[in-house]
Amino acid sequence: MTDKRVWKWVLGAWLLLVIWAAFFYAPAAKGFKGESARIVFFHVPQAWVAVLAFCVNLIASIRFMRGHDPLDDARAATAARLGLVFSVLATVTGSLFARVMWGSFWNWDPREVSIAILLLIYAAYFALREAIPDEERRASLSAAYAVLAFVTMPFLVFVVPRIYWSLHPDTIINARGALDMESRMFQVLMGSLVGFTGLFFWLYTLDVRLARVKLARQRREEV
Amino acid sequence: MPASESLVWVAAVTIVIWAGVFVYCLGLDRRVRSLEDGE
Amino acid sequence: MRRSHLASEALAVLAKELRSELRSRVALNAVGLFALTTLIAVAYQIGPYRIHEDDRPHLLAALLWIILFFAALSGLARVFVKEEDAHTAKTLRLAARPLAVFGGKLLFNLLLLLALEACVVPLYLALMGYAVTGVGSLVAVMLAGSVALATTSTLVAAIISRASGSGTLFAVLTVPLALPLLVVLIQGTRAAAGSAAFSEVLPALRAIVSLAGVQLVASLYLFPVVWHD
Repeated sequence: MTDKRVWKWVLGAWLLLVIWAAFFYAPAAKGFKGESARIVFFHVPQAWVAVLAFCVNLIASIRFMRGHDPLDDARAATAARLGLVFSVLATVTGSLFARVMWGSFWNWDPREVSIAILLLIYAAYFALREAIPDEERRASLSAAYAVLAFVTMPFLVFVVPRIYWSLHPDTIINARGALDMESRMFQVLMGSLVGFTGLFFWLYTLDVRLARVKLARQRREEV
Repeated sequence: MPASESLVWVAAVTIVIWAGVFVYCLGLDRRVRSLEDGE
Repeated sequence: MRRSHLASEALAVLAKELRSELRSRVALNAVGLFALTTLIAVAYQIGPYRIHEDDRPHLLAALLWIILFFAALSGLARVFVKEEDAHTAKTLRLAARPLAVFGGKLLFNLLLLLALEACVVPLYLALMGYAVTGVGSLVAVMLAGSVALATTSTLVAAIISRASGSGTLFAVLTVPLALPLLVVLIQGTRAAAGSAAFSEVLPALRAIVSLAGVQLVASLYLFPVVWHD
């Protein structure tokens, strides 16, 4: 039990280190306005976690459809909640970055649009859940929607940009794609990715443990 | 590399935000653990 | 135990849908009225001359799909919502296999979409002075797009019919999934309008067909879960 407790402090210290490194260890990137590139160290991991949450939600949804275990539904809902939070964060930080770099908050860059649509999907998922009072039904219907949404996403992320590019060669190129990162920046970015992923899993496991306790309590009350 | 003053401020704010989030998570952790032990 | 073929069951469901729709015409009215109103509003205010020549390809394609899309949204959810409202859903569950129900209702939504396009598109082209070079390409794009949109919306319609279904919930759930499709459709329409060469619409067409394929396969697994009581 002791080693589990240590991990949270390790995570806390790690992200503290990452923040320090993002501001003072990594150099200011060339071709970016001043220090604005530093937001990338936070923006990219947030977007990554939003997608990771989507995947976790998919797995939990599929498992629920197979086994009808209410804990799997709790897992799916938790992952979606975290996914919503992180996609909001990613959209906001991305927008701020776009404002500094290109002067406007929104540029219809395919990646910007993808994260915004992911946000819409999460919002829709919760709107659906709110509309179903029965627990079992809520779980299967939201699981079905989650799977449908998941199979649709690759088209937005991969296919549409390819068509988009072929017709609009002059679209603003996403800076992340064009970056050949210096090793220091790469290190910090990787470190940040690890840190944010750790944060996601910590929050996720906490919420799932809470759900497990609640379910056990419910079951006991039914007996 | 000399850091501009505003950069230090932004870094400080970010650290404070993270500290807040971290403490909140610790609190959550404690609450979940007590709930689990109570079972 | 009945051993009827899945396809004939689906067609029977389709026939029932068509009959009941032609009798009450609720979906047709809603969709038709919406399409007509927006079309007239756009054509009257904008018409063939108000858009600058450079912007015409983009705007005309986009406006067409806005009209079609929102008109479709107003009518596509009915296939399942009306079953729940009329309490005929349970009977339908007993009468036909889940995939037959899905197939029949999917075909109905597809026909509704195609009918909508058949009416709106020629009118739009005429009223807006939209010259389309690649008519065959346009037809292909519309066909593929209709299949994809019908697939998405039929499954979502099934989902929301079992929720405290409000009309807005259908739109809220469908829009994020349909947005990529919409973008590709607009691109494809522009490509078709601009050139008669089929190769121009091929990228868009490929995307639409693969999206429709993936969603159809997913629906085969998901619909029975949703439809199950």
